[in-house]
Amino acid sequence: MAEVVLKDVVKNYGAMFAVNNVSFTVADGEFVALVGPSGCGKTTTLNLIAGLIPMSGGDIHIGDRLVNDLDPKDRDIAMVFQNYALYPNKTVFNNLAFPLQMRKLPRAEIDKKVQSAAKVLDITHLLERKPRELSGGQQQRVALGRALVRDPRAFLMDEPLSNLDAKLRVQMRSELKRFHQDLHATVVYVTHDQLEAVTMADKMAVMNGGFLQQYDTPANVFANPINTFVASFVGSPAMSLIPLEVASNGTQTVLQSSEGWELPLSPINARKALAASTKKVVLGARHSTLKLAKSAVPGSVPGKVYTVEPTGDITFAQVFISGAVVNISLEPSVAIRPDEMVFVEFDQERIHLFDGETTMALTL
Amino acid sequence: MTTQALDRPAPRKPIDWWRWAGRVFLTFLLIFTVLPMVWMVLTSIKSQFAALQYPPQWWPAEPTLQNYWRLLDPSNSVGQEFLRYFWNSFYVSLLTTVIGVVVAVPAAYAFSRFRFPGRTFLFFTVLLRNMFPAVVFLMPLFLLMRWLGLVNTHGSLILTYLTFGLPLSIWLLKGFYDNIPIQLEQAARIDGATRFQAFLYIVMPLSTPGIIATSIFSFIGAWNEYVYAYTFLSKQDSMTLPVGIQRFFTEFATDWPGLMAATFMMSVPVVVLFLVLQKYFVRALTEGAVKS
Ligand SMILES: Nc1ncnc2c1ncn2[C@@H]1O[C@H](COP(=O)(O)OP(=O)(O)O)[C@@H](O)[C@H]1O
Ligand SMILES: [Mg+2]
Repeated sequence: MAEVVLKDVVKNYGAMFAVNNVSFTVADGEFVALVGPSGCGKTTTLNLIAGLIPMSGGDIHIGDRLVNDLDPKDRDIAMVFQNYALYPNKTVFNNLAFPLQMRKLPRAEIDKKVQSAAKVLDITHLLERKPRELSGGQQQRVALGRALVRDPRAFLMDEPLSNLDAKLRVQMRSELKRFHQDLHATVVYVTHDQLEAVTMADKMAVMNGGFLQQYDTPANVFANPINTFVASFVGSPAMSLIPLEVASNGTQTVLQSSEGWELPLSPINARKALAASTKKVVLGARHSTLKLAKSAVPGSVPGKVYTVEPTGDITFAQVFISGAVVNISLEPSVAIRPDEMVFVEFDQERIHLFDGETTMALTL
Repeated sequence: MTTQALDRPAPRKPIDWWRWAGRVFLTFLLIFTVLPMVWMVLTSIKSQFAALQYPPQWWPAEPTLQNYWRLLDPSNSVGQEFLRYFWNSFYVSLLTTVIGVVVAVPAAYAFSRFRFPGRTFLFFTVLLRNMFPAVVFLMPLFLLMRWLGLVNTHGSLILTYLTFGLPLSIWLLKGFYDNIPIQLEQAARIDGATRFQAFLYIVMPLSTPGIIATSIFSFIGAWNEYVYAYTFLSKQDSMTLPVGIQRFFTEFATDWPGLMAATFMMSVPVVVLFLVLQKYFVRALTEGAVKS
């Protein structure tokens, strides 16, 4: 296994920049999730690492080699495709054997490696079948097996679980994680599902519009989202964002709503808010940090209940505050109804402030 | 399934008149195409005399294969001539087919996979030929062949048939390659194949039905073609079957059984081709390539 380094990688189709100046390093043995909404350039980035499409600029290293001009076959990587890309006219055995045949391994060795990969993935009984005779989950295993038969420098996976049903997806998720731990494999894993990224990855690279937004451990990305995009993409339900204006009421720095109310800020948050490039500041808060009150308490702001969604052990309420929808989690025992006027209390220690103009997180 | 569902009587289907109308129409069509062929075969096993009888013998009283033996016997002049025409036709059709595949496969692949300047324009110029009836090109092509010094050679026919057959082959094969997910090739390249190996080991086998279907099309097209063969070839020993049989027609105007035997022999390769390869042919026209 080896590390994978991207430096200022660019891919453009004419004026369309699918990947724009992306740099990150996947350490040897690390599981990195490339995550972002559909069309943000994840697959393109993966294909650039694989060498399936030519780069417009930048450098890619795999291990100690600069691979910019190497063919996919010489990069010594394995890839699992979203639609599995199993060879339809070959049996499962020959699908698994193909990478080894291409590398001209002796027959006996091919046989041994295919058998052992099949055993690991529990597909030994399927070896004589054709891909179309397999279920989605089985095809997924064969695709994984084809990557596993060699020991490549890195595994690239493009939304490998997105075609499975929800239950199988959760099961395969833990299997993939297990397999990464056992092999200490370097994995670059593309997904649009932030939950998959958060649960599986050592680090996550959040992309949007071809740009890398943030590259850090899931815990850090969750705790300190670098801008409003990351804040609203990671976590479910997402962080609620309320656009407000910073002002002073004589004694205190406050956030002012166009609806008329003011939210006083703690001294630290006040300094952050005042550092914004304009008066516009976005207030961010995760559902679990908010409290709901039926009457006004100090540090609370008024809102109107939009929907109430009981899920069993938690009830989620969506509340309109200053024109924005805010998610709040509640005890199931709390009784509120849609259209009810409520007050929402913010925890000054756990709110996030973003520059309303640049969308970047405000820090000290 | 529960037993209850099984016990319930099946609902009576109303008679589907459209379906029946379709069947009647198809039956009619079948009779219309098969009857002349049956008559051809029946006549070919009659004797000269029996063939001209009136009222006709529906079933030959003394069936004989003598007409066939005569055509296939290289020791008499009729047999020599027939076998020569047959061989010429076979040779021209086979070369047309082989060269057609060799050109169409890479061309269709390129149209399907690569984006290059003038791609759309080229693709439609390829089809331009098919917008006009074949005879329109008879004189221009004849002049062209004369200029190239190819008149009275099989090369002139092969070239001509290629210009007619290739557009269809390329169009059909491109559809095949469009349907083969590009990820298959990408997977192969990551698995250690070069671009060419990926094409050879993965894409080619998947497009076999398409290649076979286009081969049948170009073979039959070349095998049956008459007008160009008649115009381009004037030497008797280079003639192809359709032209040759027409000569039979004028030379042996009264030998109906012989003529019918020759016609029947001419249809044999096409029928055999279809019977052997129909599995692929049907797959090619119905299934496209692979469903992903
Ligand atoms: N061959 C191509 N030509 C033009 N645009 C492309 C091409 N491939 C991808 N794109 C564009 O690049 C962007 C990123 O695509 P992709 O990497 O597939 O996104 P995703 O993050 O969903 O995997 C998309 O807007 C897509 O339309
Ligand atoms: Mg994608």
